[in-house]
This record gives sequence, C-alpha cells and structure tokens, in this order.
Amino acid sequence: MRPRILIRLFTACLMVLGALFIFRGLLAQSQTSQIDTPQATPVPIYNPYPPGILPADLNSEINRVLREIASIENRAITRWHNLPPPIVTGQPPVLKNTGTEAVETLGELMNFDKNISPGRNQACASCHMPYVAFSGPIPSVNLTMIAYPGTVHFRAGKRTAQRYTYSPFFPVLQYNEEQGLFFGGNFWDSRATGYLLRNPDAHQSQGPPVDTQEMGFPDTACITFRLSHSVYRPLFELVWGKGSFDINFPPDTAQICATPGGAAVFGGDIQPVKLTAVDRIRSNEVYNHWGQSLDAYEQSVQVSAFSSKFDAFLAGHYTMTPAEHAGYNLFNGKGNCNSCHLDARSTTLTPNQTDTGNQPGGAPVFTCFGSANEGLPLNPRDAFYYQTTPDPFDFTPNPLGFGYRDLGMGTFLRSGFGSAPNPNASWRRFAPTVDGQFQVSSARNVAMAPPQCPTTEAPGPYFQKEFFHNGYIKSLKQLVHFYNTRDTGFAHNVTSGHCPEGTIEKVNCWPRPEVRNNLDMTTGNLGLTDEEENQIVAFLQTLSDGFTRPYPNRDTFTGTCMSGGSASTQGNEFLIPTPPLPPCAPEVCGVRPTPTPHIR
Amino acid sequence: MNRLLLKLAVMVIVVGSLYSTPATAQVAPTTKKAASVKITLGPEIERADSYLTIVRWTTNNPGGSPEHYGVVHYGTNPKDLSQTAKSPIRLNPGHSDTVFRVRIEGLQPGTTYYYKVDSMEANGTSDGVTSEVKTFKTK
Repeated sequence: MRPRILIRLFTACLMVLGALFIFRGLLAQSQTSQIDTPQATPVPIYNPYPPGILPADLNSEINRVLREIASIENRAITRWHNLPPPIVTGQPPVLKNTGTEAVETLGELMNFDKNISPGRNQACASCHMPYVAFSGPIPSVNLTMIAYPGTVHFRAGKRTAQRYTYSPFFPVLQYNEEQGLFFGGNFWDSRATGYLLRNPDAHQSQGPPVDTQEMGFPDTACITFRLSHSVYRPLFELVWGKGSFDINFPPDTAQICATPGGAAVFGGDIQPVKLTAVDRIRSNEVYNHWGQSLDAYEQSVQVSAFSSKFDAFLAGHYTMTPAEHAGYNLFNGKGNCNSCHLDARSTTLTPNQTDTGNQPGGAPVFTCFGSANEGLPLNPRDAFYYQTTPDPFDFTPNPLGFGYRDLGMGTFLRSGFGSAPNPNASWRRFAPTVDGQFQVSSARNVAMAPPQCPTTEAPGPYFQKEFFHNGYIKSLKQLVHFYNTRDTGFAHNVTSGHCPEGTIEKVNCWPRPEVRNNLDMTTGNLGLTDEEENQIVAFLQTLSDGFTRPYPNRDTFTGTCMSGGSASTQGNEFLIPTPPLPPCAPEVCGVRPTPTPHIR
Repeated sequence: MNRLLLKLAVMVIVVGSLYSTPATAQVAPTTKKAASVKITLGPEIERADSYLTIVRWTTNNPGGSPEHYGVVHYGTNPKDLSQTAKSPIRLNPGHSDTVFRVRIEGLQPGTTYYYKVDSMEANGTSDGVTSEVKTFKTK
C-alpha cells in the first residue's frame, strides 16, 4: 500500500474514533441518570480506640443499614417514576399539581443516596433511619460509642443523631430581647441558624455532607458534582431548573471529591475544587437547593406525620388508657414537662374538666424551640474523646482528648472548637448564659421503634436507642427517673463509672454534671413515684407517629431486637469508668467571654 | 337583657380564645406579670453538703419571661449575704404556682450559712420578692 493511502486510512480511523468518543461523551451526558453507580472505594481504617470502644458488630451493622438504605432508595425511585408528567405554568411559574410531591421525593432520594460521601459509603440516612423516627439506627452504637462513624471508618462525631421529625418547625435562630432568651435553630447547639436561607432545617442539611466526621466532603462543590452524576438528576432539574448543573468542573474534581475533608493534602483549603466565580455561585445555588429539598422531605408527612395516638386523641378518635392519661396529667402537672415540651393545651385540667383538643393553630410539636442544660454527666464512651491521633489522611478529629467539654450553644456563640462560625457578633456576649445548653427536642417520636421490637424499654423485645446529646441515658424510664431524681440524695460528686459502693448508677446514683453552668432547675427533684414515672413513659409512647396511618418505611429494619433485663438498668453493663479528667482545654473554656463560673 | 347576654357571650368567647395557647407556633409565650409575687412555701433546704446545696421555695406564678432565675444571697455572717447563686427555671403558664430551686456548690462542710432569696426574669428584671433571712448548716 502506498504511504498516501495509509495516511488517509489512518486519518479516517482517527476521525471515526474521535466521533465515537464525542458520541460516547454526549451519550454519557444525556444518560448520566442511568450510569453512575460506582462501588465504595476502600480506604485505610482509622482505629485510635482502646479495645471495647467500638462495638464488635460495627462493620456488619453499617452494611446492614446500607442495605436498608438501598431498599428505601429504590422505593423512592419508584415514587419518582410514578409522578404524573410535569405542568409548569403560572407567574411565577409553578410545577402545577405535582410540585410538592416532586420536591419532597427529590429530598427523599437525596437522603438515601450513599454517593453523597467521598467513599460512596454513607448517606444522610446512615445515621437517620425512619424506623427510629430518623435517629440512630444501630443499637450497638447507641449502647457504646454514641456518635456514628463517618465516611472514613472510623472517624466519628461527638453527639447523638437527632431525630428529623418536626425539626423543620424550628424558627430561624433569634434572640428575644424582651425575654432574654434564644430560640430556634437546628442541631443540638443551634449552629444551623438559618440566617441566609431563613430556614434552619435546610441550613442543617448542609452540615453533615461537609462535616469531617460525617459524610465528609472537602468542598460543598463536591455535593453539586455528585448530584450532577446522580440517577435523579432529571428530577433535580425538573424542580430547580434545567441549567442547574451547567458548571465546568475541573478535571481533578472526581479525585478531590473522593478524598475526605480535613485531609492534609488540602492544606486547610475549604474550596479545593477550583471553580470560576460564576460556577461557584451556581454550585452554591445547587447546595442551597440540596438543603431546601431535604427540608421539604423532612416537613412532609413522610417524616413529620402528625399520626400518633396523641393526634388521634386530640381529634377525639382515641381514648387514652388509664396509665397514658395519668401520664399526660403528670406531664402537664407534677412532672412539669410541658414547661419546655409545650403541648399547646391551655391549662392543667381540673377535675371534671374535659380537654376538647379544639385549640387553634394546629397540632403541638412538644418543644419550646429553646435550649437547656439538663446536667447530663460526661459520657466516657463518647467516641470523640479517643480520636487524638492522626488518621490515614493526617487529620486528628479531637486533639483535646478528654480535655474537651461540650458547652453546646456556648461554644457555638464563641465560634469555638467543634462547632461552626457564629454569624452574629452581637450574640457572642451571651455565651456564658448558654454554656451547657442543648436544644429542647420535640418529645414527639422519642419512643418510636421498629414494628418487630416496638418499644425502647427492656425487657422488650426492644430497640436500643440513646437519649440526650451524649447518649448517656438508654431508656425512657431512665430519662424520666433522671428528671425526677437528679438532685436528690442520689446526686454524687463522682464521674460516670465511679458511683459509691452499694449504689447503682442511674438507679440511685447520678454522677455530677459535665457542665454545671446554667443548669436548669425546673426538674431534678419532682417527687414522682416509680409508678408515676412509668405513667409518663406510657404517655411519651403515645407521641409516636404511625398510629392513625402507617409510618412510611418503618418496616425496613432488618437487624436484631434485644430482650431481657430492666429498663432502669438497661445498658449499665456497658458503663466504663471515666478516666481522671484533665482540666477543660483552653481551646474550649479559655475563649472569651469565658464561662462563669469556671468549668473544671 | 338580650344585648347584655350577647355582650357576655362575646366576652366569654374573646377571653376564652385569649386564654388558649396557640399550637404549633410554640415559642414559649411571655405571660401576664402577676401584680405581686409572694413566697407561699419556704424557702427551705432540699439538701446541704459540701458537694451540693439546694434551696427551694414556691411563689405564685410571677408571669413575664418564660425563663426566670431563682437567686440566693448567702454568707456565713447574717449581716453579709454578699455571695450569690442563681439557677434558671422555666415558668409553666398553666400552673398557678412556681417552684424555684437554686444550686450552690462548693460550700464548706459543717458550716452555718445564712441566706435570703429573690427571683428575676431572664433579662434581669426583679420579681420583687422579699424573704426573711434563714439559716442552714452543711453536713
């Protein structure tokens, strides 16, 4: 063959190959919704923990939850595909008829997407599953390390996973001058203020994906990047606009986004994905829509269902049992629980008075949206204390070790270690008045558990949950007993694991509070009998959704129920002695305005 | 007569609706302040030792800010109650009485202390309570 012909042939081949590449690229772009299911990337294990801190079944339980997540994601995909065709009309344009369900379904698809983590191994739902009202789904974690492992196994946070239910009802964090009180915000320390989105729940949803110890992306642009490759991208574009992902991501984006936040390789850069200014704005917009879509899901009846026995009772369709009714009266009366967990009833009922439930404004959410320090003892099982050495990415989650103290909202107002920057400098001076305070959770769904182990209380069969910000309390019986007797003769000047001989921790010995500042004294010595405590527990169990209609996806738990023992001592076999505590680290307690009194 | 009855009925409805606490938008309300706040029980000592001393008293519901502070002025000399301890509590708008409880930590063991109490709203406005000076001895 002549060289000329050869050259022509070669050129033709090149052209065909080039065309094929371009076509494949186009095909890939048009079909991104079908292709992106890469497997989790194995990363080196980080295990700074002494023996016994990590539960033995941790890996199998993480995998169990991932399987459950996949099953719910598949249900959500079906729900999406069953949506009627969109009709965008009106001015401003509205997705007529199906807009609400579209954005709620989009939020659900995001919530159960494990690709929203560098290792493609953790979804939001990994710590928030529906059968426990979107709180922590692994009984052994709830019993031991209390905080859930993140995308890097086994970095872990420092607090328990809060329930999603009714969190969208919290207002934007604000300080009421007249009352001298903060209310609103999301997260235990209220750091998701909602100051820009005007929606603390949407702001909250933007936290874990870039939290080094949780889903752990190094840059918010990574969430945009992964969403642009998600199967549900068409739904995102339907809800939020066709051009949402018209962003030129640099070639190294995939590699950056497969690396967890905090990695030394980033040198502290919080925006390692290098976008143009315009593309950064677009990416931020996508991330705002991420938060808003998740908020839509969390506020929907899929999550915040108002379908409890108590709701049926308010509507006159359920008669409380004598124990539940006695518990309700104690909740509002002697127990004084509704001073913070507002039930929106007008008053404590007098004898022969009937509560008609005809209050204006809808159903109560059982919180005052405020914060309080209930005086929980330091929980030495908290995984955070042990992460004092560098992980394989040269990141050290907690260099302070046991010198860390959780001051809750106080640390947030100081923009302190382990929290987030406070966007309002005028709040900082109030930090000493909120040290030790954590958000007053909605009491709704505190008792929700999977159908096959429908209680949180031993002897069960029960689902082991954890309560309060540090998971020190393991049953509702213990929770009520704590409020009832915290300050009585049961209060001892010891740390957890060191109760005096002859006493039983959580039964007749309460170790000293981790933070004594601003300790709320509404409760602590209520004078409730053992039976009255049980009645309040019975009332709390009427607040679980799923009575008037099935609670979506509550049937997805495939793990093991527990049984035996007593709710009073549930989990006590996992108590460990608190080591001698070093003084509170200057990075926490030395930040101005410093805590008053001084924290030990 | 009919007009009077109508007026009464309207009043009952209006007052009734004011008395109801709105649901869902459940930011704790600022309630009507009591004309005067009086101690109806105590002050008394729940426990008194070097780890933890708790002073407790009951008043009529003072109203105002949902968070109040109980305040204890104390010392070892009845003429010098210059030390202060305060603890927050939440008012319950549905309760006619309010229990204040204040923690004091780190007192000397086996020591006699004198004290009197007061309370205030979270923003520092006093409830105007007066109490006699009382005494306790730590274990």
